[in-house]
Amino acid sequence: MPAEAKLSHTAAMILQAIHAGHVYGFSVMEVTGLPSGTVYPALRRLERDALIASRWEQQSIADAEQRPPRKYYRVSRTGRLTLEAAWKRYPLLERMLPTPEVERA
Amino acid sequence: MKPRPASSLASLLVRSASLLVPRSRRADWTAEWLAELWHVGHVSDTESQMSARPVAFAAGAVNDAVQLRAHSLHAHLARLRAFLQPGAPARCLLLLAAGTLAALSLCLALPGSRRVLLPAPYRHAESLVLISSSGSTDPATPSIHVADYREWTHNTAPLFSDLAFYRVADKTFHLADGPQRRLAVAQASPNFLHLLGLASASGTPAPALYLTHAAWQTRYSGDPRLVGRVSDIDGASVRIAGILPADAWQLPGSVDAVLLESPAMLAQLAPTARGFAIARIRGAVFPPPRDGTRFMVETRYGVVYHYDCVSLPRLLGQPFSNVFLVLFLASIALPATLPLSLSEAPIRRGPLPLFTLPRRAAFLLAKAALVAPLVLLSSIALTWGPSFTTNTAFLIQFVTGVPTLLFAFRWTLHDQRRRCPECLRRLSNPARVGQASCNFLAWNGTELLCVRGHGLLHIPELPTSWFSTQRWLTLDASWLSLFTEPSSASPEPI
Repeated sequence: MPAEAKLSHTAAMILQAIHAGHVYGFSVMEVTGLPSGTVYPALRRLERDALIASRWEQQSIADAEQRPPRKYYRVSRTGRLTLEAAWKRYPLLERMLPTPEVERA
Repeated sequence: MKPRPASSLASLLVRSASLLVPRSRRADWTAEWLAELWHVGHVSDTESQMSARPVAFAAGAVNDAVQLRAHSLHAHLARLRAFLQPGAPARCLLLLAAGTLAALSLCLALPGSRRVLLPAPYRHAESLVLISSSGSTDPATPSIHVADYREWTHNTAPLFSDLAFYRVADKTFHLADGPQRRLAVAQASPNFLHLLGLASASGTPAPALYLTHAAWQTRYSGDPRLVGRVSDIDGASVRIAGILPADAWQLPGSVDAVLLESPAMLAQLAPTARGFAIARIRGAVFPPPRDGTRFMVETRYGVVYHYDCVSLPRLLGQPFSNVFLVLFLASIALPATLPLSLSEAPIRRGPLPLFTLPRRAAFLLAKAALVAPLVLLSSIALTWGPSFTTNTAFLIQFVTGVPTLLFAFRWTLHDQRRRCPECLRRLSNPARVGQASCNFLAWNGTELLCVRGHGLLHIPELPTSWFSTQRWLTLDASWLSLFTEPSSASPEPI
């Protein structure tokens, strides 16, 4: 798959962060330490290539917490396959940003 | 909560950057960045961080917006390149349209062809007629005697509301401080220019000279001081009353100037001198026939004289109406010059998409609709642009127009047969298949390919009873992986 071959370390890190449960841009920034000018354009490209999908939070939930609704991201099926290939290419990726299940284990 | 100055600045930065984002994505993009910005402002721990972090965070929005805009531009350019790449139907139509536009521009640039295309510049030209002797082969040849004109001025009032006369003669023209020149001068009756609508009835009293725009430009370099000066024409003093508008002279005869003669001077012309008579007809008593030519009969001393009254717009538009004759002749000759049937006898494994046939037909019609004016306008520019004599121009228009249009129509059909029926792109990658020596044993010919993988076109080298015409072989979807176009690949790495 061409997308797999072209996934950079930064993009793999962002994809891993989303997979690890950091589902909005600011939390991805915080966990990866990357600036906003890197994270958000990368999110657009990952979404363009169908590796992640986005959805808006329900307005009622945001209203209840008196804040604007956020945009959440999740890893798609293709993204999951790409991520598995990235784990082989970048072996430290999982250890840098472990998923909750891995952390518990 | 009262917004802090830093948050307001960051918000302003995001909103400003949003102007770079493509319109279709702007609202979503702005909402996401403002929501994230709100959260950035509310997780800061200290006042100092609070003032710095939102602005630093919002600075990333500029980069995001710039990248989105660049990606959008890249996508637009890629689409445009695919739209106009060699062999694409849009490229073919655009090239033909550009050629047609160039031919039209050439026609309008050349004075002769411009006159053919533009309407007659005379006031109420539809009621103007050129009178010529019946039997005269060419109405553009002078055939009216001055004596006839003099008589008609008295007895044709029920038919004509106005009647004028002119004859073309070479005259010696001399200005006080200039050299002598020979000019082709139209000696005309005093009402001549008023009849055509080129001068008012209360204009300069005759005799008065009007130079044509072309003669004024070429012989006197457009000198504006010329108007009002007195010149000498064959020994008679005449005031230069004005310059005729560009392209105003479209009547028979090539002239450099119009000399409005006084009635006394006109009376001195020999009665047998020949010229042209122009009249404005009274429509109610002289209704226009279908072909635009009326007839006038006059009995003089027991002899019956016939005259043709040819509609002036019809006479001036004759070259343009010949275009339709050229088009008709080429159209009827086309089937006779096609050795192959037009059908492609396609082998289809499934039905073609719904709009394939209408698209193909529309493309063929569009090509024909562009190629016909391209050829016809070019033939007008070639024949009438350099101002040939009338008969030569008509001959050249037919000799060049019909074969060229026939060739253009044949190219249109040939091009259609070399295009994919589905995407209308030119088929490419020709490959020779088989051997000519084995023609009776196996298929032998050329194979062309659609680069998008829609199918193959087999063209036999020698038509045989089992393979007489070209065949289209549709490829199913399983072949598509072999035909990925470079433009469909991801434009940039992730």
